[in-house]
Amino acid sequence: MATPKTPQTTTPGTDERPDALPVEQPGRTPALRDAYVLGGNRIPFARAGGKYTGASNQDMFTAALEGLVARYGLQGERLGEVVGGAVLKHSRDFNLIRESVLGSSLSPQTPAFDLQQACATGLEAVVTVSNKIRLGQIESGVAGGSDTVSDAPVAVSEGLRKALLKASHAKTLGARLKAFAAVRPGDLAPSTPSTGEPRTGLSMGEHQAITTAAWGISREAQDEVALNSHLNLAAAWKAGFFDDLVTPFRGLTQDQNMRADSSAEKLASLKPVFGKHLTPSAPTHGAAASEAGGPALPTGPTMTAGNSTPLTDGASVVLLGSREWAAEHDLAVLARVVDAESAAVDFVHGHEGLLMAPAHAVPRLLARNGLALEDFDFYEIHEAFASTVLTTLAAWEDDDYCRTELGLDGAFGSIDRSRLNVHGSSLAAGHPFAATGGRIVATAAKLVADKARETGRPARALISICAAGGLGLAAILESTASPAVTPAQSTES
Amino acid sequence: MTAAAQEAPERRNPRLVTLPTLPGLGGLYAKGVASSGRIAVTRSPVGRVLPGPRDVVLPDVVYRVADVPTADVTEHLTAYQRLVGERVDDTLPAGYLHVLAFPLATALMVRGDFPLPLLGLVHVSNAVSVHRPVRVGDVLEVRASAENLRAHRRGVQVDLVTEVSTGGELVYRGVSTYLAKGFRLPSGEEPLPEQTDEVPREDFVPPFPTARWALGSGTGRAYGAISGDRNPIHTSTLGAKAFGFPRTIAHGMYTAARALAEVGAARGDAYDWTVEFEKPVLLPGTVQVAITRTPDDAAHPGGFTYVGWNGKSGKRHLGGTVTPR
Amino acid sequence: MTDKYLSAVNSGFTKTLAKKLGLPRPAVLRRYRPGDPLVPGPVLVIGEPGSAKDTNAVAQALLGWDLDVRQNAGDGETRWGAIVVVLTGATSPADFSAPVLELGANLRRLAPGGRVVTVSRAPADDDTPLLAATRQGVDGFLRSLAKELRAGATANGIQLTADAAPDSTSALATLRFFLSGSSAFVDGQLLHVGPAAAEATTDWDRPLAGRVAVVTGAARGIGAAIARTLARDGATVVVVDVPAAGESLAKVANEIKGTALQLDVTAEDAGARILEHARTRHGGLHILVHNAGILRDKLLANMSPDKWDAVIAVNLLSQLRINEYLLGANGFSEAPHIVSLASTSGIAGNRGQTNYGASKAGVIGHTRATARLLAPLGGSANAVAPGFIETDMTASIPLVQREMARRVSSLQQGGQPIDVAEAIAFLASPAAAGVNGQVLRVCGQSLVGA
Repeated sequence: MATPKTPQTTTPGTDERPDALPVEQPGRTPALRDAYVLGGNRIPFARAGGKYTGASNQDMFTAALEGLVARYGLQGERLGEVVGGAVLKHSRDFNLIRESVLGSSLSPQTPAFDLQQACATGLEAVVTVSNKIRLGQIESGVAGGSDTVSDAPVAVSEGLRKALLKASHAKTLGARLKAFAAVRPGDLAPSTPSTGEPRTGLSMGEHQAITTAAWGISREAQDEVALNSHLNLAAAWKAGFFDDLVTPFRGLTQDQNMRADSSAEKLASLKPVFGKHLTPSAPTHGAAASEAGGPALPTGPTMTAGNSTPLTDGASVVLLGSREWAAEHDLAVLARVVDAESAAVDFVHGHEGLLMAPAHAVPRLLARNGLALEDFDFYEIHEAFASTVLTTLAAWEDDDYCRTELGLDGAFGSIDRSRLNVHGSSLAAGHPFAATGGRIVATAAKLVADKARETGRPARALISICAAGGLGLAAILESTASPAVTPAQSTES
Repeated sequence: MTAAAQEAPERRNPRLVTLPTLPGLGGLYAKGVASSGRIAVTRSPVGRVLPGPRDVVLPDVVYRVADVPTADVTEHLTAYQRLVGERVDDTLPAGYLHVLAFPLATALMVRGDFPLPLLGLVHVSNAVSVHRPVRVGDVLEVRASAENLRAHRRGVQVDLVTEVSTGGELVYRGVSTYLAKGFRLPSGEEPLPEQTDEVPREDFVPPFPTARWALGSGTGRAYGAISGDRNPIHTSTLGAKAFGFPRTIAHGMYTAARALAEVGAARGDAYDWTVEFEKPVLLPGTVQVAITRTPDDAAHPGGFTYVGWNGKSGKRHLGGTVTPR
Repeated sequence: MTDKYLSAVNSGFTKTLAKKLGLPRPAVLRRYRPGDPLVPGPVLVIGEPGSAKDTNAVAQALLGWDLDVRQNAGDGETRWGAIVVVLTGATSPADFSAPVLELGANLRRLAPGGRVVTVSRAPADDDTPLLAATRQGVDGFLRSLAKELRAGATANGIQLTADAAPDSTSALATLRFFLSGSSAFVDGQLLHVGPAAAEATTDWDRPLAGRVAVVTGAARGIGAAIARTLARDGATVVVVDVPAAGESLAKVANEIKGTALQLDVTAEDAGARILEHARTRHGGLHILVHNAGILRDKLLANMSPDKWDAVIAVNLLSQLRINEYLLGANGFSEAPHIVSLASTSGIAGNRGQTNYGASKAGVIGHTRATARLLAPLGGSANAVAPGFIETDMTASIPLVQREMARRVSSLQQGGQPIDVAEAIAFLASPAAAGVNGQVLRVCGQSLVGA
């Protein structure tokens, strides 16, 4: 602590712990307290070019926010902060979240800011708002994200852009015309955003195809993850799980990508889309590499449209607050945001797969919190691709990898697959990049709250999200010690 | 090494020729084309033996430009950095120094007494050492010399050595090896096995790629515009066809510079950078790339190897290393 | 939904034309607007001689509302905002003669949007034939009179039950409702009003202040109007609709500063979830409006099981299940009010609506039974039976049928969702607790079911 201690605490004998924090003083940031997930809302996720064509990120984020305000009666409320972002963002949306707040029923005095961490944007927003609450800087906040590929920004070519900039700075008509004289016909073609990694030129799918092959993940295993995602999500919708987590938008009432009638046969009939030009190479990691006692058989392309997430439009938000704020607003507490850890990997030099950062983040997160991998009731591992889930799990089960890459004593561990993405994940719901974090956090918070209510014991969920740029973010949610009061336990009249 | 050893005595005191400024490449090309024609006329390139021992001497001269200012290169440097994917800052990357010194080496190659034709020389490999970073504003001395004429399985090789120093301190040394196909040394000397400089094709098993370059048809023209190397095989389909390529080909140094750039900051301020060129990259084209970190152990310093290949044919385009010093 | 005919005959050239052609000219109804006077002119209070005490009590109460009250028709110039006829003391049909003829003499001076309200005693099981005839007679008189009124004026009756005084809390609340613009589309109706423990309303602009209300089917149409009206009257409103209607539901919730609960009322745990939401979020539950309903019209000969069952499940069984849960779990806070949406189809029947008619008649049935359960709690259960209301649903009726449905009522037009909502807000108010187990038609005195 850089802050000088008070004379009292430095007096010998009055403070037995030399590293103890100074006692709380007026004007000093109060000690840490807990931040809680109080609820969430999202709009159903639409397939690209589907129901939300023409809807902007601001339209969608505002809709998600309005649904949240309606569910929790926050009209006119001045919240501490609204934080969120979008991955594919127009330059005019520099204040996307603040503009959304201004268009919502929240108090216009609610501050907001934009944040972006690729596909981890939504979860990072949750972590950021939670931390502000934990520090006592705010009492309540909303975290979320929005993304649309149907209304993605289209940029002009580099040549045209330079000419436009030059022309706008030109002082005379002649100079302006001269600036445009440099424009070539090819410059008039628009430049659309790509999902390719800027440093490698490989798309995320191609990157993951390499990781998938390196770990020798089979097509069948990936299809099974995809099938479970669809069936679990459909079952959750049918059971009404999302009735208080989703508000319809533009006539879409359920996730458009979901296929309740999906089957192993249907998934098996799809042609691979990623890794097609990957020269067949033998797995270099995990069981597939060691089983044969030498180089294993090369794996052909395995990643299809069915076991990869489609491009999707959507938005999600999570309501967070301190326990006091929740009580003042008669809001039940769903889950405590325990902790979070981000990680990044060196994929540029081929040292690690692009989407493997969560494999690094989770062990560090759990170690800090004294938890083991099996200490969770629910695992929410974002399904960027079916194989990202599988390579992450395979990595944790691999003794050698965990020693050399994660610095552990041995394999990190296995999870009970029946606790994995129990209500489906991105393969079925879709993955509007920045909106996925909010979807997962709200789902996981409700899961642990329900579980705690059901069993009377605290429940815990592990969330991990991989992101472009070799990023990963993991977080722990835990049900509160005293489960929400049920109607049977309290009567008023 | 034989050739080098043979020539060594003659090169103890090379003649130092100081030029006032770095020459422009355009003029040099015109001269190079003319002299190549002369060489082609007098010495038919295919399977011809170079004339007698007296004539296969490299010009015993070192070209030097004493004060090359870099204070005003920023715009050009930025364009280079953007093109090859280098971080845009005030450091002159090794590839840029190569571009800077290239005209001086070219001036040497177009001398009347240079024994090989400029056009038709194939750049087969390049090895660079950066001893310390060169920054915008440094005043540089650039030297170029030709060394080590030697036999090769498919012709004759020569090294063009460029050195950059500042304040009397050597900061950069680049060795560009060129092959003149079809020529043979008059001594009838055969290349040593280790001088074949080639990995047998069947031994190359493509690794998992870490990157992919989608190179457009304008790639050669874009690098040509910045490097000044407007060799028609890079910039014009007709020019490329004249040399037996179906389409234009990418500059080898462009691809090598991209690989260097992708290693990024991990290469440090001072580093060695090597490349060997194999199959040319036809444009437009896609190059699969793998950059691999080599572990740091007692035997080898840690660094990076890189390889670029054609994903469909599995043929290698280039390979090399980047090793922090 | 706009009634273009109504607009045409009330403005400009088409108004003149309609007048000349003698076309029916439905009036623009006088509806409640905050700040408007309760009635559009002085109130004439008349009574038969045996009811003098009650007549005075009513007049006193009206004076208490700062109205211009007259007990004498006077100069013959006054345009009456309302005429209240007190018949509580009548013991023979012969007693009607004087007061109704006096009423008749003043009808031409009733202002547009004026009101006639009769206050009489409801027939009781132990009435003598003479008394029964007297009290029942008011019914036929009132309904016939309502059909004679023009220019948006209406006639409705209060029938006091047991020993309820004409100036008791609920009687006055009902009188006020009938006089006000809130009852614009209620015509030719008689409500039984009994004694109530409820205290008299003091804030007539926000009679529902401090009350927590749940409205089902609130995403659009009548449900949304109910939610808005309850909120306007001061209630904290939980709006409920199926998850698929969530977008509109959220808009309604945010507009009225309520909370949205996405819920299928046919769900097994619907009652529990409604209660949990109302309790945790708002600390209690006072008002429940069963508005959610669906139509699946088909002649019985062509009726499919899904069409029949869906209508019964949504319109009737869901209400029963939710009520049963809430009453069983002792879920309501003090003085609970349940208002259920019935329909004139459930009273008079309608071709092609056997399923709907059955469900809505069922609603009337369970309302009467539930009323007995809520009375001891100081609450009430009532049904509102809308006639032709201009909504998205009725806009889909073919033009000719729609026009006919509009013009067959005494008010020669369809009602607006707000008209239904106003009736519900009245029935949900604490002061109306004496109105219990009733079916209030909001139909402009439509022939259908009237």
